[in-house]
Amino acid sequence: MALIEMKNITKDYYLGETVVQALRGIDLQIDKKEFVAVWGPSGSGKTTLLNLIGAVDDPTSGELTIAGKNVRSLTDDQKSEHRNATIGFIFQGFNLVPVLSALENVMLPLQIKGASASEARKQAMMRLEEVGLTDLANNRPAKMSGGQQQRVSIARALVNNPSLVIADEPTANLDSRTAHMVIDIMRELNEKDEITFIFSTHDQRLLDKVRRLIRLEDGKIVNEDPGL
Amino acid sequence: MMKWMKLAFRNILRNSRRSFVTIVAISVGFAAISLYYGYIHNVYNGLRYMAIHGEGLGNLRINKAGWQEKGKLEPEKYMFSLEETNKIMKLVGDEKGVKLATPQMQVTGIVTNGNVSTVFIAQAVVPRDDKIIQARWADFLPIKGQKLRDDIVYGAEMAKDLARYLDMAPGKDGVVMAPTISGQMNALDIQVNGVYDSGNDFSNDKFMRLNFYFAQSLLDTQSAERIVVLLDDWRDTQRMRSMLLKKIKAAGIDCEIRTWDELSLSFSKQKAFLDTMFMFLFSIVLVIVVMTTVNTMGMAILERTREIGTLRALGLKRRGVSLLFALEGAFLGFLGSLLGIVLHTCVWAIIRVYPPKYTPPGFSMSVSLFVDMVPVMLFLLLLSTVLLSLFSAIVPARRAARQNIVDALGHV
Repeated sequence: MALIEMKNITKDYYLGETVVQALRGIDLQIDKKEFVAVWGPSGSGKTTLLNLIGAVDDPTSGELTIAGKNVRSLTDDQKSEHRNATIGFIFQGFNLVPVLSALENVMLPLQIKGASASEARKQAMMRLEEVGLTDLANNRPAKMSGGQQQRVSIARALVNNPSLVIADEPTANLDSRTAHMVIDIMRELNEKDEITFIFSTHDQRLLDKVRRLIRLEDGKIVNEDPGL
Repeated sequence: MMKWMKLAFRNILRNSRRSFVTIVAISVGFAAISLYYGYIHNVYNGLRYMAIHGEGLGNLRINKAGWQEKGKLEPEKYMFSLEETNKIMKLVGDEKGVKLATPQMQVTGIVTNGNVSTVFIAQAVVPRDDKIIQARWADFLPIKGQKLRDDIVYGAEMAKDLARYLDMAPGKDGVVMAPTISGQMNALDIQVNGVYDSGNDFSNDKFMRLNFYFAQSLLDTQSAERIVVLLDDWRDTQRMRSMLLKKIKAAGIDCEIRTWDELSLSFSKQKAFLDTMFMFLFSIVLVIVVMTTVNTMGMAILERTREIGTLRALGLKRRGVSLLFALEGAFLGFLGSLLGIVLHTCVWAIIRVYPPKYTPPGFSMSVSLFVDMVPVMLFLLLLSTVLLSLFSAIVPARRAARQNIVDALGHV
C-alpha cells in the first residue's frame, strides 16, 4: 500500500470574493522510502501540496490518505496525534524554539507525545549524533549557524521515527556547502532508516540528488521524472 | 507538566522588559490590596475592641424580651427583677468561656452644676466589673481624676465636653435629675470622680458613667435593665448567644440577647464602608491585572505566531497551546504576587516603625495608622492573583490555539 494517496485533490483559497485555485485535481501516489522533490515556479502550489500531505491543512475536495488514514475524516486532535507520530517537518526558516537548547528542541516532539524526559533525552541525543551536533546539544539556536540550526531541525523531524518527513525549501537559507551537507544527511537517513522524504525546492543541487521529481504548474502536476 | 512549566518560565524571560513591567504592575496592585486589607484588618480589630471594651458593650447583652420595642414605655415591666437578675447572673456566670456577667442600666436625665443644666445619657455600671470590661482600653484613653469606685456610690465620670459645658472637674459636685420608673422626678447629688474622653465627638458632650447602685436609687428600683456578658474569646459570640438564650429561656425567663456588633452602630457602619472601599479597590486592581496580563499575552502571542504554528505542526494539540500560554500568565501572576509580598512587607515595616497619625471621621482624637500582617490573606491573595492571571491568559491563549497552522507558519 502506498504511503500517500491523493485522488483528485483540489485546494481553493478565498481572498475576499476572489477564489484562488491553488491545487486543481491532483492525483498522486508516493510509496514508502521514496526521496521525492516537488518543484515548480513560485505560486505553482508546492507549499500547498506539502501542507496537505503534512496534515496541517485540509483539501477543498478529493481523497487524501496518509499511512492508511483518511486525513479528512480526522478531528483536530487526531490530526495532531497523526502528525506527531507519522510526520516530521523541516522548515525553510528552521523554526526552532529560541528559548530551548538544541537538545530540548529535538526532545520536543517526544515530549509532546508524552515520553519521559530521560527517554526523550536519550533519543534526542542519538538523533543529534546522527547529524553531528552532540557538541552543541546545550547551545540555543541563537548561538548556532544556519546550517547547524537546520541539522537540529532535521534531528527534531526524525526523533519520533516518522514514516514521512516533509521539508519545505530546506536549503533555501543555506550557503552552498551547508546545503550539500544537509542534502547528504537527508539522503543518508532516507537510505539508512527507510524514511520517506518529500520536499519542495528550487535548488538544482537538491534536484540532482532526488529519485523522483514532481513538477507543478498552476496547481497541476505537469511532469514526473524518475530522477536518479 | 514540568517541561511546559519550564518552557513557560523561559518564555517569560524572553521579553524581559515587558514581563518586568507586567510583574511590577501586578505587584503594585497586589501590594495595594494587601496593605489596604492589612489596614482594615487592624481597624476592625480596633473597632471591635472599642465596641466591646471602650463602649462597654461586652460581647452579649441580655434584655428582657420586648425591651427593645416597649422598654422605654413600661420600664418596670421590661426590666429584670432582682431575683431574675441574680438567677441570670448565676446561670451565665457558671458557663465555661464566660469571663463576666454584670448588671447595667441606662439613665437619661438632666445634670446641673447649680447654675447651668443640660441633658445627659449615663451608663450605670458596677465599677469593679466595669474595670474588667474596660481592660486595656483604660490605658488607651486614661481618665482625668479617678475612675468609678464601689465605695463611693455617688461618684460619677463625666465626658469631657459635658464637663466643660458645666465647668465641672474632678472633686466638684453636681445634681442629676431623672424620672423614676414610676414616672416621678427624682434628684440626687453626685460628685465628679473623673473626666474622660469617650473617643467620639457625638457622645463627648452628653455621656456620663454612674455607679449601678446609685442609678437604682435614682430610678427608685432594684431591677436591672440588662445583663452584660464578657466572654473569654469574642469568636464564641454567636455560639454563646444561642446557647445562653436556650439556657435562660429553659430557666423560665423570656429574654432577648444581642451581640456587640449588632449593638455598636459605629462598628457595623464603618465595617460596611471599609468593605465597600475594599471591593472597589479590589475591582480596580482586578481590572489592572486582567488588562495587563491580556495585553502582555496578546503581544507574546503575536510575536510567537510562527512558533505556535511550529508546535502545532509537531503535534501539540490546541489545549496544549492554551495550557502553555495560560501557564505563562500564571507565572506572571505568581512573580507579580511574590514581588507584591516583598513590597507589602517593606511598607508594613516602615509603617510599623513610623506609624502615620490621622483622625478618623467622628473620632475625638488622632490614632496611629497600622497595617496588620495577615499571612493567610497574603496566601489567598497570591492564589487568587495566580488564578486571575491564568484565566486572563486563557482568552488570548485560546485565540492562539485556534489559529490556522498554515497561516501561523507563514506569519512574519
